[in-house]
Amino acid sequence: MEQSPKTAAHGPLARRQIKPEIAPLGDAALLVRFGKSLDDVANRAALAFAAQLETDAIAGVVEVVPSLVSVLVRYDPAVTDRIRLSGELALRWSGEASWESTRSHRIAVHFDGPDLVEVAMTLGVRPEDFVQMHNDSELRVLATGFAPGFVYCGFHGARLILPRRTTVRPRVPAGSVLFAAGQTAIAATEIPTGWHVIGHTQFRNFDASAEPPTRLQAGDRVIFEAIH
Amino acid sequence: MTALLRVVRAGPLCTVQEQGRFGRLAHGISASGPMDNDAFDLAGALAGADDGAGIEFTRAGLTLRMEAGELSLGWAGGDFAVHLNGLALKWPGCAAMRAGDEIDISPGAWGNYGYLRFGSQLNLPLVLGSRATSTRARIGGLDGRALQAGDQLSFSGPASRKLPKPMPEEPTIGPVRFVWGIHADVFSPEVRQRFVDGQFQVSSMMDRMGVRLIDEGGVFADSGVLSLVSDPILPGDIQILGDGTPIVLMRDHQPTGGYPRIGTVISADFDRFAQIRPGEAVAFAPVSVEHAHRLLRSRSS
Repeated sequence: MEQSPKTAAHGPLARRQIKPEIAPLGDAALLVRFGKSLDDVANRAALAFAAQLETDAIAGVVEVVPSLVSVLVRYDPAVTDRIRLSGELALRWSGEASWESTRSHRIAVHFDGPDLVEVAMTLGVRPEDFVQMHNDSELRVLATGFAPGFVYCGFHGARLILPRRTTVRPRVPAGSVLFAAGQTAIAATEIPTGWHVIGHTQFRNFDASAEPPTRLQAGDRVIFEAIH
Repeated sequence: MTALLRVVRAGPLCTVQEQGRFGRLAHGISASGPMDNDAFDLAGALAGADDGAGIEFTRAGLTLRMEAGELSLGWAGGDFAVHLNGLALKWPGCAAMRAGDEIDISPGAWGNYGYLRFGSQLNLPLVLGSRATSTRARIGGLDGRALQAGDQLSFSGPASRKLPKPMPEEPTIGPVRFVWGIHADVFSPEVRQRFVDGQFQVSSMMDRMGVRLIDEGGVFADSGVLSLVSDPILPGDIQILGDGTPIVLMRDHQPTGGYPRIGTVISADFDRFAQIRPGEAVAFAPVSVEHAHRLLRSRSS
């Protein structure tokens, strides 16, 4: 949870051609990187590429994991190798991200977190105005995977960008709604965090007995709603 | 026919393991599974088990009592002393247990992890496709937790009559081999050279999630790399924390992370690294991905 967006720009920039870097991550995976810092373009490219690999499978690939600006591709070294797989991956990238998730979710939040007032003060607004601004725009799930069911949602507009806290809370409960770096995150399990805790939700994005065990996928659209 | 084993004594990090829960990284779940896969497989072969769950124990050891039925057992991994009803047996090895028998395992000369496998199937539910305990996600095994005194384990199916397979190959010695990592380029050439030339020590802060190393030569003391955008993590990744501490991520690793990763331990050397005890020295040597694949092929042939 180290990242802050360099830009949340849409429009012409989103159609910028990007060429991914393909590098080994150990001897049984490649990491396809669309950027080295978090921005909207790199994130959309990574999610689009991962979605494409799910529908256009490559022999020897055993797992595809979309992340903030990269896609992890695990492979079986008995079936394929680094050079062959790198070539197959490069062939599948068209140069732009046209994929959009069709799924959307409404998530009800109690904005009662211990950091809410301080967050609003730092941003120079009243807490109720902060909640309004926070919920105004539809966000996307930028990435999953930090912890079971954990999601990063973004990006908020420029007025809602705030660094992380200077100290880390050793644990916050499942359902905590977290805010930092132009994003809102939801903890589905108890985790340590340096993000501001602005509220909590009854929504639990992790159930080990369900298949799949999480409901939000990278790319899904999310709208937050305040409940009192 | 049901067999019952009672845990009489178990160390704090003794868990049920099985082949990992692969394919769940996008859900935030690392695969888990045995810290030493080869030893897990050998113990299984000795027990006459083709697959199925086993117990991973640490240097704290383990004592189990058979309460009902009969069961074939195999054990392997590192060096431990094993006693069946007070009688010392060979390590690695195998035996059959009957009601009333007690098996006790205590640490020997080397290694961190040992395995007990069974000729019958351990009756535990599959959680997301595996019985492996994830100490991070707290799922699998017995309610996602370590074994503790008083736990009862039940087994079903006949005790196996298969013949044990051959003994293990000699352990490889020398530096732990790695592939340069996704962030190797953020370290200066001098730091990379010192990493390869230097010697590190496994610290006492080591568990199924990661092994912290002591950087006696201060290789990374001034490397001053800021944290980066988070990317997925895999077992064997060598990440350098903000204060310069190297940490090798293990089977219950965090699924993503933003600290720079200078390299990744190759699959063929992962088990051996997991068995290095706190206080022991470790050095690292870079190899190509292709070399790592040749090592895997030569092991499986």
